[in-house]
Amino acid sequence: MAERFEEKYNHVRFEFIAVGTGRALKLAERGDVCAVFVHAPSLEEAYAEKGVIVGGRIFAYNYFVIVGPSSDPAGVRGAKSAAEAFSRIYRAGEGGRALFVSRGDNSGTHVRELSIWRLAGLDPHGRPWYKEAGQGMAETLVMTNEMMAYTLSDISTFLSLKKRGRLPNLEVLYSGGEELINIYSAYLVESCGGAERMYAEKFIEFVAGPEGQEIIASYGEEEFGRPLFSPAASRLQELKALWEKLAGAQG
Amino acid sequence: MIIELRGVWFAYPGSRRHVLRGVHMRVEGGRVVMIEGPNGAGKTTLLKVLALLYRPVKGVVLVDGDDYWSLDPRTQLSLRRRVVYVHERPILLRGSVLENVALGLKLRGVPGAISGALETLRAMGLEYLAERKWRELSAGEAQLVSIARAVAVQPELLLLDEPMAHLDEDRRELLVEILRELKSRGVGIVVASHWPQDELLRIGIDRVVRVVGGEVRAL
Amino acid sequence: MNIVEEVLEITLRSLVVSGTATLLASAWSLPLAYILAKPGRLRSLMASILEALVGIPTVLLGLALYMLFSRSGILGFLHLLYTVRAIVVGQAILITPLIAVTACRVLKSARESFEEMALALGADDLQAMAIALREALPGITSSVVMGFSRAVGELGIALMLGGNIRGTTRVLTTAIALSVSMGEYELALYLGGILVAISVLVSLTVRLLKGVQGL
Repeated sequence: MAERFEEKYNHVRFEFIAVGTGRALKLAERGDVCAVFVHAPSLEEAYAEKGVIVGGRIFAYNYFVIVGPSSDPAGVRGAKSAAEAFSRIYRAGEGGRALFVSRGDNSGTHVRELSIWRLAGLDPHGRPWYKEAGQGMAETLVMTNEMMAYTLSDISTFLSLKKRGRLPNLEVLYSGGEELINIYSAYLVESCGGAERMYAEKFIEFVAGPEGQEIIASYGEEEFGRPLFSPAASRLQELKALWEKLAGAQG
Repeated sequence: MIIELRGVWFAYPGSRRHVLRGVHMRVEGGRVVMIEGPNGAGKTTLLKVLALLYRPVKGVVLVDGDDYWSLDPRTQLSLRRRVVYVHERPILLRGSVLENVALGLKLRGVPGAISGALETLRAMGLEYLAERKWRELSAGEAQLVSIARAVAVQPELLLLDEPMAHLDEDRRELLVEILRELKSRGVGIVVASHWPQDELLRIGIDRVVRVVGGEVRAL
Repeated sequence: MNIVEEVLEITLRSLVVSGTATLLASAWSLPLAYILAKPGRLRSLMASILEALVGIPTVLLGLALYMLFSRSGILGFLHLLYTVRAIVVGQAILITPLIAVTACRVLKSARESFEEMALALGADDLQAMAIALREALPGITSSVVMGFSRAVGELGIALMLGGNIRGTTRVLTTAIALSVSMGEYELALYLGGILVAISVLVSLTVRLLKGVQGL
């Protein structure tokens, strides 16, 4: 999208820093960045309330996936909800039949994972089968594959690693549903000013507008056979409602 | 004790340059030999071959008539213990002067090494240095200590490499006295020096030998 | 477990892991250094190669070992991955060139001067070697301490082979990396401070011991 945007406004240059949502928002707080693209509504709500970020626009969504070994010792495949899937994993963990790897790094995925445990009324912290890796999504998936464990992942990282043959032991065992919806929003950082702010605003507008949405709709199709994200435009109201729900659910 | 070099050639391992070329030389007890020559000419190497430390690549080293390098290790060791070489730059161990001077005696398993060392220091008028630590010594003091260490084992041949290098006038006097005394007791002395030899002459030099480009010429 | 307890746990783990790695590395590096201290073209070549490996990026070594220890790797059956044992092995390998090369230099110089001096004074080969080794001891100790510092401060290996798992393989460096990635810079700085303090303390302790021993 930056490429397309730069075509239009060729005196603008983008520099992207790829970090977890928690850190992205911290960077915003310190004024080190001008705009953030994040996906953890509860954290976003907290920072928006503080006035650190403004002008939020939901621009895409997809679903988190629960991945695990093909043998599925916990029986996640048969679960009726994400919370139930986690309950099954918990029981299997206690019974010594399964392991779960958590990102443990305050990223969007991590925040969601914690909320699902809460939904299920369980606290896995400190349990021997619950491994808090403190690493990025790719490393976490690799570790999960190595340990033949379960984890929560975003679909794009999983698919790209799977495609490269790095996750031979893992499969998507459960996905979809409200609990696993992953909403991406873009915000302007309040402390950003001048020409930078103007173009940041334009870019966010671009991403949420028809051109950006079109790019999103087909992104990843060629490489993975299916688009990795869905454009938000067509379901905006619904997504906004879901966002509110997730934001209120305490990160 | 007599050490004789016949047709000795020496090159360092891995080097093709011969540092010593066809050297004939003889040193014996009670005689003082001076080796002079420019830096890099091979004086130190020559001393080390005489000290039975370096093995020639060609030629023979005779000790009292025997080919040293074809003797068994035990015999080599006992012969080598009668010859002491003192490095140009004093190499002292961590510890006190007394401990250093006693080293040679300790290596030979001589009982009472410490008192023997003290004796030597006294005889050389250096007992005031006995308790000093190795790094508290000046260059001149360190040099005298390393010479005292050699003298303490009562060698039959003493090989000194630039012994005057760090010594001031008084100490040079002292060294001359010590060497004169040793000569009169029948110790063979070989000194390598590129310094003016005036003081050394007072020891009574029996022969001067010049080393140039690895070759030795008697003068 | 509160934050202070957790920091203590992580610190202790760092010390034990890197300490063990240093002992392990010294066990094979010091004899290697001794062998390499003798003259010879082949030995010289080996020393040069080791010298080049001193600065190997930890991530690179971590990756290579990861591929070995992974389930699909040759040593996968050992189940070393994501345990502290893997970090110990990885760090030991990492600091081997450092310890070997620096100890070798010390030994070489010690042998050249002290060994020859001892021989000239009438020592036999064994006595001369013992003297050279004893004189080289302070330098060798420094070598080992340097190895420890490198091990305790490295990130790539601990991360790739340990996985930064809370409660089992999290060490100071990986905890710092995590804090940074979460934007918790203050915590990262505190942990960093502990790391530096450890290195300094170890160095000072060794210095003290050397002084006491008259080294």
